[in-house]
Amino acid sequence: MTLHWKPYALAAALVTLVAATVLSGAKYNSVIQIGMKAPSFSNLPGIDGKTYSLPDFKEDAVVLVFLANHCPWVRGGEKDLIKIVDDFKGKSVRFIGLGVNLRQDDALPAMKERAAKVGYNLLYLHDPTQEIGRKYGATRTPEYFVLNKERKVIYAGLLTNSPALIQSDGSSRYVNGEPKDFYVRDAINAALAGKPAPVAETRAQGCTVEYSGR
Amino acid sequence: MGAALRLLLFLGATLALGAQNATPPPIDLQRIHFGQWKRELASLKGRIVVVDVWATWCAPCLERFPHVVTLYNQYKDRGVTFVSLCVDDREDPQAVEQARQFLRRQKAAFRNYLMDENITQAFEKLDLLGIPAVFIYDRSGRLRHNFNGDDPNHQFTQKQVEEALARLVADQDQ
Repeated sequence: MTLHWKPYALAAALVTLVAATVLSGAKYNSVIQIGMKAPSFSNLPGIDGKTYSLPDFKEDAVVLVFLANHCPWVRGGEKDLIKIVDDFKGKSVRFIGLGVNLRQDDALPAMKERAAKVGYNLLYLHDPTQEIGRKYGATRTPEYFVLNKERKVIYAGLLTNSPALIQSDGSSRYVNGEPKDFYVRDAINAALAGKPAPVAETRAQGCTVEYSGR
Repeated sequence: MGAALRLLLFLGATLALGAQNATPPPIDLQRIHFGQWKRELASLKGRIVVVDVWATWCAPCLERFPHVVTLYNQYKDRGVTFVSLCVDDREDPQAVEQARQFLRRQKAAFRNYLMDENITQAFEKLDLLGIPAVFIYDRSGRLRHNFNGDDPNHQFTQKQVEEALARLVADQDQ
């Protein structure tokens, strides 16, 4: 008997290892794994007064970005967010901003105001229950997730290698110089081509999302 | 009379000097590279060390900072060293000055450092996603508590920090 269970144990360990490898990649995110089915959401109110659910969207790629009005990293990156949405106009890509902070200055009325002021060209949804943030393990703003046609998470993290931070004088500065690695753009193109993202996860950098309780 | 006056003047000057020496140095923000930071932590072996990682761009950090000052006043004479580690953009002089002014307003009369690294690298080297974060090291220099917001389902509270520190101090007092 003892002679026989060892190969089974070895096989079981190998299966576990292979399964872990297939879903691996979430080096920084403590909740999601790259390759997993994207957590869904339903009936989240948008700043346009309508409600939206993930299955409503039929595009080949969906980009979720967690945002927060008050955050200097979000403000620093707004220009680049607006640009990437424009760059994919006409392609089968849907961009969705998500606000999950409980701060008054990040709540729905403030989201509407900010979006109008800076000209957000994407859907901007609010989840006061914070559940969508918890499901995605979103701890930073801005933090991006790219979902492919099968609605699997193929990328999580930064927009580029060089996030922009609003400076004291109101200007914004790329903290690592001019961006040269366009993680989200590359992940979207990969999703459109039915391929895995060249870089599947990066360490998100930005303001903290504060979750209540737990 | 002359001698008495000279003595009085001497005593007055000595007292004034003494009083001057007793004035704590102004609260400042000192730049520190990651390598120096590691050496600084190593030099504090033998003491419990509480590190608060913060930045002026981090609203929750500013909101939570007074709690660290309260703990400092509570534990400063009980073998605990408090250190603040600011991860503001070192290339934004105004932000650095705002950080310094904030520390002064908070009366953060402990060691205050500005991480002298590119921000992205600072987070990588600290192996941190975001702040506020509080690290507590025990007397052997081991990181005993790493409180951060890196998991939405395990957020840390001020109460947890308080309890962890109280436990560690009590254990090590025994």
